[in-house]
Amino acid sequence: MDNVFLGPLKKFVTKIAGFLPNLFIGAILILIGLLIATLLRKMICRLSRLLNMDRISEKVGLTQILQKSGIREPVSWLVGNAVYWIVLISFVIMGLDALKIPAVENLLQEFWFYVPNVIAAAIILGAGYLLGNFLGRAALIAAVNAGIAISGLIGKFVKFTVFIMATTMALELLGIGEDTVLIAFAVVFGGVVLALAIAFGLGGRDAAKGYIDKMLLEKKEEDDDITHI
Amino acid sequence: MQAGFAKYFPDHNAILINSDGGSTDGTLEIVEKTAIDDFQPLLIDQRQNLLSKIVTPYHGIPGKGSAFRTIFQVAKELKVKACAVVDSDLRSITPEWIDLLIRPVLNRGFDFVNPYYLRHKYDGTITNSIVYPVTRALYGKHIRQPIGGDFGFSGKLAEFYLTKDVWGSDVARFGIDIWMTTTAVANDFKVCQSFLGAKIHAAKDPSADLSAMLTQVVSSLFMLMEEYHHIWKEVKTTTPVPLFGFEFSVGLEPILVNVERMTNMFSLGISELSDLLSDILSTECMRQLVEAGLSDPFVFGDELWAHVIYDYALACHRKVMSVDHILKTLTPLYLGKVASLVQDMAESNAHEVEERLEALCLAFEKTKPYLIKGWD
Repeated sequence: MDNVFLGPLKKFVTKIAGFLPNLFIGAILILIGLLIATLLRKMICRLSRLLNMDRISEKVGLTQILQKSGIREPVSWLVGNAVYWIVLISFVIMGLDALKIPAVENLLQEFWFYVPNVIAAAIILGAGYLLGNFLGRAALIAAVNAGIAISGLIGKFVKFTVFIMATTMALELLGIGEDTVLIAFAVVFGGVVLALAIAFGLGGRDAAKGYIDKMLLEKKEEDDDITHI
Repeated sequence: MQAGFAKYFPDHNAILINSDGGSTDGTLEIVEKTAIDDFQPLLIDQRQNLLSKIVTPYHGIPGKGSAFRTIFQVAKELKVKACAVVDSDLRSITPEWIDLLIRPVLNRGFDFVNPYYLRHKYDGTITNSIVYPVTRALYGKHIRQPIGGDFGFSGKLAEFYLTKDVWGSDVARFGIDIWMTTTAVANDFKVCQSFLGAKIHAAKDPSADLSAMLTQVVSSLFMLMEEYHHIWKEVKTTTPVPLFGFEFSVGLEPILVNVERMTNMFSLGISELSDLLSDILSTECMRQLVEAGLSDPFVFGDELWAHVIYDYALACHRKVMSVDHILKTLTPLYLGKVASLVQDMAESNAHEVEERLEALCLAFEKTKPYLIKGWD
């Protein structure tokens, strides 16, 4: 009986007993990390306010660059949160490392090799986000000035197309899906265009005819002789 | 132009410059070869001393500003006393224009002569609704056509223009006219106006993009506000400037206007660009714009318009987003204001139109403290 039940149980208990301190240390590390990250975020936000960081960044044009791309949060908030996440992730990694589980250790080792790709992917995502917002806004304004009724849709289409392209590139860099993501993107994108073409050409043939006729008629009617300058 | 020089300045040496932007329609040959052989029908007995011609391509960004820069450079090199520049597509230019643009400089000591035209009430809407009221409110001078395009100026002022490093900006394009006027006024050069009669030019270029044109003019206006903020903030009153020439009235060709299209564009802009406009305009301004869009008949008040333009100036000053994007969102609002003015002036004669524009200018002057407060 001893060999059948108690032996493995003892081994399991011994292993658990050996693992518990590591788990405890890991949990403590993550908790400490959470505490330090939260404290640092608060301190940085307060210090930034004391040092007038938001005003300075407005003066040097950093706020405007962020606003141009649709990020409206103050720079102090962004810095505080960036520090929060960097500290927290570092402590989570240390906590996982403290578990001394070979599989996790291997994963972490792989993770460190993976970090440059993660950073590059983050940069691509960030740039894609900024560029998507900028181009989306430019397309929206141009469409409104051209008198196109579905301007909002055009702006969003451009914005999300750029963002999806950036996401595809980032995922490919991370090795996720690779060809699958690219093919999925091509299929979805092509599908949307085809669906629109079919909808406009077949489903809404009469509507399309009416719309084009109206456009041509309006074009004739809307010509005026005003010289603006 | 040759007749103008011969008739009014026979004792002076004159030079005619064609600053060309790469014409392929034979302009260069026409300018080189065109000459008046018989001055008798023009009642000109005394022949002019000398009229030389320079036909030259200009360098830099394609546009009127770059062309003018070449003319300023020639004026400087030749140490000219007075210069006149006229648009190349004019159909109503007469020899008298040369006299009216140059004589105030030569005989009265003025440095800058602005044109004063008779225009149809719906013509020059950027001038009437933005440039004239803003320039007048900011710099205190009643210059009716700040972007008229045909100017007279002294050699001293041409040399001063060349000291400014603006030739890579919108000034090199459509912005040159407002830049020349504002630079002259803000730097205390002696400014006057000359009545030139009707301004009739070639049919407009159908490819000319209103949004780009508006952006270039308004960005130049706002860029000048940055440069001369210490001057315009101190200007508290406005005064007329001397006007030369004999004022007469002429019949003007009717102009087709599609008000419905303009109000539709305004409504589209308000609904589709509301997120962006909320970043540019004050909350109160935005609320009033939405109300204006719902009004029937459509009314876009003068004070609201003044607030809109000042909010745009402030948004560019603070760079709340890309300046190009800020200014391009102005197009639908501008069309809304033009539609409102067209409706107001539908039955008005020339005198009543000027009274209407006077009211608009007063709204800009009254609202100026709002701009000054926001600027600081």
